[in-house]
This record gives sequence, structure tokens and C-alpha cells, in this order.
Amino acid sequence: MLEYQNLFTRVQVRTVPELGLPIPGSPGGRVGKGFFSSLAGKFGDAQFGPIYLGTAGVFSLLFGLAAFEIIGLNMWASVGWNPIEFIRQLPWLALEPPPPQYGLHIPPLAQGGWYLMAGFFLTISILLWWVRVFRRARALNMGTHLPWAFASAIFLFLSFFFQPLFVGSFSEMVPFGIFPHLDWTAAFSIRYGNLYYNPFHALSIVFLYGSAVLFAMHAATILAVARLGGEREIEQITDRGTAAERSMLFWRWTMGFNATMESIHRWAWWFAVLTTFTGGIGILLTGTVVDNWYLWGVKHGLVSTYPAQNMLTPEQQQLLRGRYQGTAPDTFPAYTAPVAPMMLDSTVMAVPADSTKKPADTTAAMGTAPAKPDSAGARRTP
Amino acid sequence: MKSLRHRAQATVVAASPALLLLLGACMEERRTDSVQIGYRGVAMEQNYTRGDVKKKFAQVKIPDPLPPAGEYPPGPLPWRNVQVLNDVSPTEFLRTMTAMSTWVAGTGNCAYCHNVAALWSDTLPNGKPIYTKLVARRMLQMTRHINAQYPQHVKNTGVTCYTCHLGKPLPNGLWFYSDQTDYLRHYLDRDGARVVSQQMAPSRTGNRSSVKQTEWTYALMISQSTSLGVNCTYCHNSRQFASWTQAPPARVSAYHGILMLRDVNTSYLSPLQPVYPAVRLGNLGDAPKAQCVTCHNGNYKPLYGAQMVKYYPALWGRPDWNGVPFKGVNRSTMDSTKARMDSAAATPATVKKSAKGPSSPATGGVQTAPAGGTR
Repeated sequence: MLEYQNLFTRVQVRTVPELGLPIPGSPGGRVGKGFFSSLAGKFGDAQFGPIYLGTAGVFSLLFGLAAFEIIGLNMWASVGWNPIEFIRQLPWLALEPPPPQYGLHIPPLAQGGWYLMAGFFLTISILLWWVRVFRRARALNMGTHLPWAFASAIFLFLSFFFQPLFVGSFSEMVPFGIFPHLDWTAAFSIRYGNLYYNPFHALSIVFLYGSAVLFAMHAATILAVARLGGEREIEQITDRGTAAERSMLFWRWTMGFNATMESIHRWAWWFAVLTTFTGGIGILLTGTVVDNWYLWGVKHGLVSTYPAQNMLTPEQQQLLRGRYQGTAPDTFPAYTAPVAPMMLDSTVMAVPADSTKKPADTTAAMGTAPAKPDSAGARRTP
Repeated sequence: MKSLRHRAQATVVAASPALLLLLGACMEERRTDSVQIGYRGVAMEQNYTRGDVKKKFAQVKIPDPLPPAGEYPPGPLPWRNVQVLNDVSPTEFLRTMTAMSTWVAGTGNCAYCHNVAALWSDTLPNGKPIYTKLVARRMLQMTRHINAQYPQHVKNTGVTCYTCHLGKPLPNGLWFYSDQTDYLRHYLDRDGARVVSQQMAPSRTGNRSSVKQTEWTYALMISQSTSLGVNCTYCHNSRQFASWTQAPPARVSAYHGILMLRDVNTSYLSPLQPVYPAVRLGNLGDAPKAQCVTCHNGNYKPLYGAQMVKYYPALWGRPDWNGVPFKGVNRSTMDSTKARMDSAAATPATVKKSAKGPSSPATGGVQTAPAGGTR
């Protein structure tokens, strides 16, 4: 079947696997000889391997495995080592950070010690992987755009460690788990008075959605000019009528402005990097500088006003807040069943009274007017 | 090449029924109706699955009220050991008992709570206490207490035994202590659901609530939301959950509901622990306790606001129905009940009410004589 072919081809080449450049002075070797997979070829290059691991890579995987095992085994233990329940409840299982009463102290293993250990190993693993990314970029004599973009994501990851340090409690950290970490985001936002009024949260969302738009625009443009050989940017960049010129012309006609073959990648890089960078700043400011982002928004004119739904005086609002304000309990004491009956008229229950013969006793036993209203009534007596 | 592509196509064709099945599950028709309940354009709305409320409304079965009790000359009750309901006429008393036999026992069987050989007795012929009778007696006191003391929550609708029991001995949603129900202890012995700061900046002396505490509050709120079959916006403006002025008025009712539930659990349900047989107790030996769903059963108003109690003055705890006095209710009791209502108005949340009409000092004195004391 006749088919147009260019470098964006779906044809999978089968030959001796490409082993890559020899890099002088590079420590360690590459593992494997490489093999082909037609399935991989549908998504990317058909060749798998060889892979370079190196010292940082090996230790990164080891620490990552340790974290993964600690999290997984703790989750499994939480369902009594039942494999079926482990699979069934997996999305809801969690390895939780220590309870708040431990503050920044090291808790027992079962009380969040495992969590801190897993978090430590995961952090080491990620940092080692960054080292590996940096070294590979250097080894190939590339720029270090990749490691610095990765570093921005790591900054956000570490913000979830430093923010709890700043507010003085490991308990603020994000639990490991699928739904539990989502529940944490909801609770974090509510606790700090609605994170949507956090301007850095807003910026992060702008860059996140912007990244998606830029990605779509760029990908669509390049795919659309592939039929004209658009992937050969460098050869085409100075010539008239080429795919490269058409792709730029398209955007200039469409919106009056166009990126260049170079600048579109800078746009994308900065949008991606700023997504996590601004997000991390937003996290670090929360609970440290601002405790209620909604009230911050009110102060700075960010919050639109509309008619109140409940006509309440400030005094009434204060009463409705009641005795709740202040330090809230973090744990619950264990329940012990009462040994002595607590009920006021329990004695009457055990020994049935006779209402027709002893009216006085009956009165005492009625108990329809409990102690609370009594005292309230007494207070109101002038 | 060609065979490779054909194989790929065959794979897709073979997998398509499974894919369709998967998509079909997602595409089940679930249209929703949105009802605006607040200021325009700010998503203050309630979402209902279309036809869902209609279906649930049709499922609610309200028992027909029994024929009204006739007049009866005033005087002491002709029975022994009547500790509750002794301020209504004997005919009204029997009528209420009859209603309870179907509301709670479900079968219309007196023997569920009574020793049929000696109806006055609190024990069976073998000498064992009839725990159902002891519980029912306390529940009658509780029902009156709720109707008399919590008009802010039960309004003029009130509650009867049927509101929670729905014709079954055990109401829905009874809870016991466990790791999984910690958040429900807000309805009993733990306070502190408030986690949102009232100040913009953090301070050492201010709000020290943790994110974990917030998750506990979250669980509590979601249990209320599912108990009533409503969204968060039924009671809150979600842009600032803590704000009372931006919240719909329903939140004030809900707040009184929490106070009511705590009172009911603390004063009535938990203390019944020694009365219950072991089979009715939780793993830690605690008595069954109520939560929102126990009465609400997934409806924003229990029984969708059906006013059952107006046919049963013995359960109402107030001497009149919206100003119309009940027949067969003793005059002296009416006065003392009214005094209780006045003292209820002195609770902090209803300061406005008591400020309007300060009651005379004499009413405070009536407090010490509970209903029925004049008999």
C-alpha cells in the first residue's frame, strides 16, 4: 500500500540495535545490548536499551525501592495482610504522617516513624535521580535544561517537607496513598481558608493550564506541517515557503503574533518550570505567613462581595462559633465502658416504683426536666 | 508489515466489546437538576439526580394517624407504675401506646415491651427486667425533650418515635466506638470541629488546628451531607466554609441539630448502656448512639417534613400546636412545659428570643417541679 513517508514515520526499522556514542571519561557502562518491541514502536522508538544506570542511578533505584516497600507493606499491614482486601481497598489505603502531638519529634515506627523513613528514602532517591539526570546531560554535552526543570518539580516536592518544618509539625505532611493524598489537598485548602485565594496557587494553575495549551498548540502545529517536512527545522528555518515558515505564518495570521522555532520551546520550558516553582512558593507561604487565604483576599480586594444570605449580627456569629475556637483535639482517648450506671433514674428502672401509691417518688423519677434547663432557669432568676 | 497491521486491527476489534462495556458503565444516564439557593452566578446550588427526590419521596410511608382520643374526666391514671405520659388522659395514653406498637415494634405487639400478664411491671414473669420497656420509657422522655427544647432544629414539625424507627426496632445509622467512627464522637463527647482561622496571619495563640484535624471535620461534614442527601452548599458557601453570614440559613438549623444530637447522645442514649443486653452493645461495650442519618435517612427533612407529632400531643412536649391547645392535656402540665420552653430559650444560640420576652422570675421556680408532679 502506497503511503507517504517522512521522518514522522510509523515504519519500524529492524536492524542491529543502535548502541549510542562512546563517551570518553564516562564512568560505568551501559547495561544490555538493546532489543526491539513493535508495541514500543507505536508510542516511541522501537528500540529498548541499552540503559546507563551508574552509581547515582543504582542507589536511586535502591532507595526508591525501599520507600516503595515501606509504603506498600504498611498499607498491606493496615488490612491485616489480607491480599484481597489490599487490592480492593488499595485506592483508599495510606501511610500517614505522625499525629500532631509529636510535633517535630521522631515518633514510634507505627505512629508515623515508617512514614518519615519512607519520605526520607523517597527524597534521597529523587535527589539521586536528579544527579543522574544532570550527569547524563553533561556526558552528552547537552545543556542542563532538563535537570533544572526537574529541579523545579523537586522544589515543589520539598516544599511539602519544609512547610511542615516551618509550622512545627510533621503531621502536616502529605500522606502516601491515592485518595488519602487527594483528601489531604482538600483538607489543606479548607484549613488555610481556601487555597484558591492564594495568588501563587493561582499562578501555578495559570502555568499548568498554559503548559497544556502551549503543548497542544506546538504539537498540533508541528504535526500539521509534517507533510511539508516540518521536522527539518534547521534546514528550513531560513528558506521561504517551507513548513517552518508556514507554521509561523499560520499563527501570525491567526493571532497576529508567532513564536519562533526556538522561542516556542523556551515558552514551554518556562511555563512548565514555573508551574511547580510558583506552586512551591504558595505552599511555603501557607500557614507561615498567611493562615487564612480568603481573609487575605478580602484585605487585598481579591474577593467579590455579594449580599449576605444569613442576616446575623456579629454577636450572634460569635455565639454560633461557640466554644469551638482554639486548639482542637488531635487524638481521641480510648473508650472504656462505664462500670456504674450513669443514668439519673436508673435506680428507678431497677426497682419499679408505683405511681398510684407514692406520688412523691414518681415525681423524683420522672426526670422529664433534666438538670441543664434547671440551672439555666436559675441563672435567669434575678 | 501488512500482517502486522492486520494483527493490530484484529486486536482492536477483539477488544472493542470490552471497551464498549467499560464506556457504557460510564455513560449511564444520570441527569441532574440544579436548584439555585443563593446569590446568582456563585454556584450556590443544590444538585439532585433527576427524579431521585420524587422516587425517595414516594418511598416515604407515613402511617395514618389513629382516631383522636375522646374526652375523659380529669383524675389520676387508673394504672400503676406510670412514670411517663402521666399528664395526658387515659384514652390519649392508650392511643399513644397503640401507635408505638407499630412505629417501633413494627408488629403491633404489646409484648415487645410489656409483660402481658402484668402490663405495669418492668420485669418479665421470670424476674428479668424488660430492657425494651426501660429503653422505650427513656425514649419517650427524649422525644418530648427534643420537641420541647430544640424548636430551633425540629421547628413545628417535631419528631415522633416513627421519625427514626420507621416501624423497626432499631433505627438506621446507630454507631459505636471504633477507630472508624472517631469523627462521630463530635456528636457525643468531643468538640472542636472548627479548623478555619479567624485571622489572616498565623499566631502562636490563635488557631493551631492541624490538617489532620481538618480531615476529621471533613469526615464529619461529609457524613452530614450524605445523611441529608444534600451538597456542601446546602449549609455552606464553599468559598469560606467558616463564614456564617455567607452561609445559607440552613446552617443555623444544622448547628442546633449538632447541639441536639450531642445532648441526646449524652443524656439519653449513652447512659442506657447498663440497660441493654450485650447483643445491643458495641465491641467496646458502649450503647448505640445516634447521628444525623438516624433521623434524616438521606432526606433533607426527616420524612420530608411530614407533621406526625401534631396528632400525638403526648409526644409533643408543648401544650399546644401553633397556638391551638391540645385536648386531653392537663392544664398544670401545660404550664410547667411552657416554663421549660422559656428556659430553653435562654441557651446561648437563642439569645435573641429571650431578649425579646424576659420571663418572670416565677417560671424559674416551676423548673424544679417536673411534669406530672401535681398529680
